[in-house]
Amino acid sequence: MVEWLVVALLLAGTFFMVVAGIGIVRMPDVYLRMSCTSKAATLGCGCLLAGYALQVGDAGIAVRAVATAAFVLLTAPVAAHMIGRAAYRLGVPLWVGSCCDELKGAYSPGGEFLQSRPVSQVRPPHPSLDP
Amino acid sequence: MISAVALWVVLPALSIAVLLSVVRLALGPSFPDRVVALDLMTTIGVGIVTVAALAWEQTALFDVATVLALVSFLATVAFARYVERGIRLWSNG
Amino acid sequence: MAFLHWILAVLWVALTGQWSLAGLTTGWLLAYGVLWLTHPHGAGTYFARVPRVLRALVVFLWEIIVANLRVTYHVFAPLGRMRPGIVAVPLDLHGDVPITMLANAITLTPGTLSLDVASDRRTLYVHGMRIGDPDSFRREIKSSLERYVKEVCE
Repeated sequence: MVEWLVVALLLAGTFFMVVAGIGIVRMPDVYLRMSCTSKAATLGCGCLLAGYALQVGDAGIAVRAVATAAFVLLTAPVAAHMIGRAAYRLGVPLWVGSCCDELKGAYSPGGEFLQSRPVSQVRPPHPSLDP
Repeated sequence: MISAVALWVVLPALSIAVLLSVVRLALGPSFPDRVVALDLMTTIGVGIVTVAALAWEQTALFDVATVLALVSFLATVAFARYVERGIRLWSNG
Repeated sequence: MAFLHWILAVLWVALTGQWSLAGLTTGWLLAYGVLWLTHPHGAGTYFARVPRVLRALVVFLWEIIVANLRVTYHVFAPLGRMRPGIVAVPLDLHGDVPITMLANAITLTPGTLSLDVASDRRTLYVHGMRIGDPDSFRREIKSSLERYVKEVCE
């Protein structure tokens, strides 16, 4: 029973990592590629580590597996955010099929200051959500 | 059965995933593309080491996975800082 | 209260000698029951917060799974089915910690990526993979992730 669960977790994790690999080759710009790699970090790593913890069954290992997964989940978005911002400020273009770019022109020339969008340009999200 | 699946299905598939990210590392075209490819390679590397620890029942290998997860974060952040500092120096002349 | 809760849970593990995740979970649940019986509960107490945090975690995990399947679809589908773009999301959250939590949650959900926060902390710039129209994308983020972050942090 546990054995089947471990195999299922391993296969699921592998599937998501392979999909991330295909995605990083196939996607047309950096931002979309990063969207694909975050899945390897979340579900891929999570499934593999969970499978390992379940198979070994030792408390020390299980706690370490959970800690490693938590660390990956905490740091992966920070790293992705930093690469994404660096890519945008480096001027890496969006894919031609992109529908909108509301960040365009919001940076000050030196890049130290990022302005908010004026309210007139961004309509309020939904009347029922405003306090 | 678990170690058979790990050896004959999981590890080959993960190796293919690493090869795919090597393709992106070689193609580029921009610097952040390559950083993203490296980041994905280390994330898959964490998975590979974990599965290897499971397949060969070597608990010590799991330490490697933990440390790899810690180090990959530092490497990626260092790359991003390096790129941003480059931008700042460049825009200030 | 949270401190007392964890002390009781660890005490349970130590006394039963079950040094495992299952033992800790059992101890945690039992300690919650004991505290629930012996302490006043109502709005604004620890007992009102814990279910909200748990619900936010469950919702977040569910979002991650759904988004993973969506991204998997787009990896194999023709590229023309995507509508990527960068959208400015106005923030109702105040303080660096809640904004960081929201930005991390957005990035962890595959298919969306937070790029930068405006210098006055009132706009979050998010890159999305499938944006039908920017307004509904904004509404989606505000009504799911931002609402739960707000509930947890207040």
